[in-house]
Formats: sequence, structure tokens, C-alpha cells
Amino acid sequence: MLAALALALLPLLIKSDFALTILVFSFLLGMLAVSFNLIFGYTGQLSMFHAAAFGISAYATHLSMSLLGTSFWIGLVLAALLVLFLSVIVGTICFRFRLKEFYFAVVTLAFSEMARLIILNWNSVTNGTLGIILQEKPRIWLPGQGIVKLDGTLMWYYVSLIGLALTLLVCWRLVNSWMGRSFAAIRLNDELGDTLGINVFRYKLAAFSVGNMIAAIAGGLYSFFLGSIEPGFLSIDQSLAIVAMVLLGGRGAVAAPFIGALVLTTLPHVIHLGAELRTIVYGSILIFTILVMPQGIYGSIAALTRRPPHAI
Amino acid sequence: MLFEISGLTKRFDGLTAVSDVSFSIAQGDIVGIFGPNGSGKTTLLSLIAGMLTPSTGRIVWKGKEIQGHKPHDIAAAGVVKTFQNPQLFSELTVFEHLMIAGHLMLKRRLGWRRIATLFNTDTGQAGGDLEARAREVLRLCRLEGSRDQTAGVLSYGEEKMLGVAMALMCEPQLLLLDEPASGLGQSEIDSLEIVLRDLRAHGMTLCIIDHKVGFLGKLADRAISLHHGAKIAEGTPAEVLSNEHVIAAYLGR
Repeated sequence: MLAALALALLPLLIKSDFALTILVFSFLLGMLAVSFNLIFGYTGQLSMFHAAAFGISAYATHLSMSLLGTSFWIGLVLAALLVLFLSVIVGTICFRFRLKEFYFAVVTLAFSEMARLIILNWNSVTNGTLGIILQEKPRIWLPGQGIVKLDGTLMWYYVSLIGLALTLLVCWRLVNSWMGRSFAAIRLNDELGDTLGINVFRYKLAAFSVGNMIAAIAGGLYSFFLGSIEPGFLSIDQSLAIVAMVLLGGRGAVAAPFIGALVLTTLPHVIHLGAELRTIVYGSILIFTILVMPQGIYGSIAALTRRPPHAI
Repeated sequence: MLFEISGLTKRFDGLTAVSDVSFSIAQGDIVGIFGPNGSGKTTLLSLIAGMLTPSTGRIVWKGKEIQGHKPHDIAAAGVVKTFQNPQLFSELTVFEHLMIAGHLMLKRRLGWRRIATLFNTDTGQAGGDLEARAREVLRLCRLEGSRDQTAGVLSYGEEKMLGVAMALMCEPQLLLLDEPASGLGQSEIDSLEIVLRDLRAHGMTLCIIDHKVGFLGKLADRAISLHHGAKIAEGTPAEVLSNEHVIAAYLGR
């Protein structure tokens, strides 16, 4: 709660457009990481489809605007529904065949590569490797000002912060409900969950679909803030970056992956090194953190601040 | 008849694990299934609970055929099984185990309305019922003292009792227990027996398998003996234990 207030007031202190831009990217990628953790950290399914949900939605939002003439927001909703539809198909195939762990990761990776290759080669619609420059800006309604273009970093800061806050709220509600208990049952022992009357297929599909839909919303927003879309959105690199954010931030709390997103988004801008050297430093930090802090940054801090049990 | 199986057979490649087994269970009965190791007892229970699909034969629960149904559907219909080697959610506490196992309670009480509780912290009466039931089950299974311990630190006897407790959270009408006494010390077996008698007093129907005869002999109303997957005797425990085929099977002749 305090953290939310602090983030809401932060632009009063930080006037640097550069710093705010990094924060906007962190919030949007934070949505991606937090929603991924619903599937990975809470339900125990290592999905490699998350970047695909993000990228497909970015393209779909744009295409809905350019081909169907919808507004950005309607386009975003349609894109999220498309991703929901695809999630149900991919999820049904994977979960009906009871693909787990490594096999689930590989099959979802194959589906996301399939999506990437379609986008890469469907030149007439997606402009192939070159991607698309997005010049339009979403419009929003502001009290007192009516409908205005979503322009300027400060407005994006608040829109993306609200997006992240809603993501945290939805995920927090889910994992602390009866449905979250079913997710935990699936992660820890799905065979036992099944004999206790939990429909394992249904709740895996629920976690997968909700997580992917949040990624879809993040994808639409991200592409329009960035001002372009390219097939790299759906790449394996992007999928692995999401996994890295979650491992770095931690899996044990709803907001923990956001810490990972923040660190991994900020770091490349703070450490000014040549591109190759930067990748090495960045990778080393990641490997070091994962080896030394398997619970992630959040888990390590939580372990430090937890008071030792009183000796009686 | 509450529960009836007929001609139930399960073949794995060349091996016939359960061979043409038929029997029935009446409301409120405690049925014991004996047999030496490898006689097909656990396979039989897994077939009933839906973890395996029978090769042939029928399983009828309250007049409906349930063979080949999914385990969660069978549990939802009121037939719940425990595991011989306790299956737990290792990092969670005893109470959290029971809350997970209360899934069917919420489903029965709220139906699709439980989706609405995702947006509204209040699960109302059903949530209260769930916690009350969890406390009652803890007391019934004598696990109150371990309520907030994680499953990893429990003794083997407590782990097995937690398995029974989770099954009870599902509000079963027929409880299938897979060797509940195996690996327990005498005092733990005694308290298990008290728990099971308590359940019978509450009107629950039980089907218990065990390879040890002593424990089940005292508890069961009826006994069935399996050998090499086939039923070789049925009757009161005393009748079955004095049956010459059963004696021969146990002595390995």
C-alpha cells in the first residue's frame, strides 16, 4: 500500500523523462512478469507461451485498429479475447495430453515459434522482419480535459502504473482464494489434488488463460508506448527474459516478479558499457543472483527480515 | 445397494492384476479386503477411484456406472481414496492441506457462485462452514496439535492420518483406505481404530484394504480375500480367516 502511494507520487520528485520512461517499461514488463508467475510460480507450469501472448496481442491490437477501424481500447479488448481463444486451444492440447514440466515448456515453445514464424512471413499484414511503426496514440478520458491523446511520458506513467496495480490486484485475489489453493495443489501434487476432487485440467487452463490475457494487455500497451512492433516481441529471448525476471525477483509473493522486472529493465541503462560487455555483465549478475539467492531478491529480503523463532 | 462391482478385470500387458472380481457394499458397512502383497488390492482400489481404467467389468455407485470416470469426478460423486504411502503438499501446513481438500465442499455449497467470491473476499456461510469442518476433522483425527506444522515435519503416523483427514474434508459417502495401518506402531494403530470406529458411528461406509489380518479382523463387518487378483473368499472376517484357500494363500501354498 505504501509502495503504491510512493510510486504514485514519484513523478513529483523525478522530473527526468529518461527515468520515467524506464519506469514505464518496468511497469509494463512487470505486468508480464507478475502474470507469468501466476502460471509458473503458483501453478507450477513453465509456459514458454507468455512472450507469444504479449506479441500476438501487440499485432492484434494494431491490426484491429488499422483493418477494423476500432479504437485502441476496443482493439486491446479484442486482442485479449484472441489471446484467450488461443490460450484455450494451446492449453487444452497441452493439458489434455498431460504434458508437464519440460514437455509442457517445449510444446508451448513450439506454439509460440509457430506464431512468430507466421508473423515473420505474413508480410502483407505484419510487414515481416521490419515490423510496424505505430504513429497513432491511444485516447483516454481525463476529468476536466475530456478525451485527450495518451501522449507524453507522465500520462503513460500513470496508465502503466494502473495496469500494474490492477494486475497485482487480480493475481493477489486469485492466489488467496479457493482457486489459488487449487493452483497450489496442482503445483505441489496434482495427482493428490485430483483424488481430492480438484479438476486439474480446468484450473491449469484457468491459470494459463488468465496469465496470458494479462500478458496480452501488457503487450498492447507496451507496443503503443514504444511506438513500434516487431517479431522479436515473440522471440525465445523475450520468453527467457520473463523467466529471468521472475527468478530474479522471486516466486513467493505476487509482487516479487515486479522487482525482477524493475532490476532487469533498469540495469542496462545504469551500467554504461559496450553492448557485448554489457550482455556479459548482465548475464553474470543474473547467474550469480540465481545461484546465491534461489528464492529471488524478494525471498532473500523476506528471509533476512523474518525474526528468528523465540527459544523457549 | 450403495456400491457394486461386477466382473472387474484389469490387465497390464501380460499380467492380470485384477481378475473378474465382483462384490457389493451396503450403506454403513465396513468392508475389509485382505490379501498378501501383490494380490491386486491396491489396483482394485485405484480402479474404483478412477486412477486406472478397468479392462472389463462394471463399477456401479448409487445406480450409476462410474468405471473409467476421472478421479475428481468420482471424488465429487462421494467416493474418496487415501494413499498407502501418504501423498501430501509438502511445504504447506496441516490446516492448509485441509483447506485445499475442502474444495468439493465449496463447490457443493456454492456451485458457480464461487466465481463471484473471487471478486469479493467474503465467502460467507460456505467459507465459515469450511473452516468449522476443518477444525472438526482435525479433532476427529487427533491432529489439533499439529495444525500449523508443515507436512515435512510430521511423523509417519501423522502423515497417514492427514491423508485420512483430507479425504474426510471431501465429505465422502464411501471412503476407500489403502493400507491405513501399514508402517504404524501399535499405539498409532489403536488410535486409527478409534478414528475409524468414530467414522462408522457417523454413518460412513468404509472399504479398507490391508495385508495384515489382525487389525481388520476386529473392525470389519464383512471381509473379502484376494489372491493373484481373484476373489477367493467372502464372508464375516472369522469365516474368511478360517477359509482353507485364504490360509493356503497366506502360507504361500
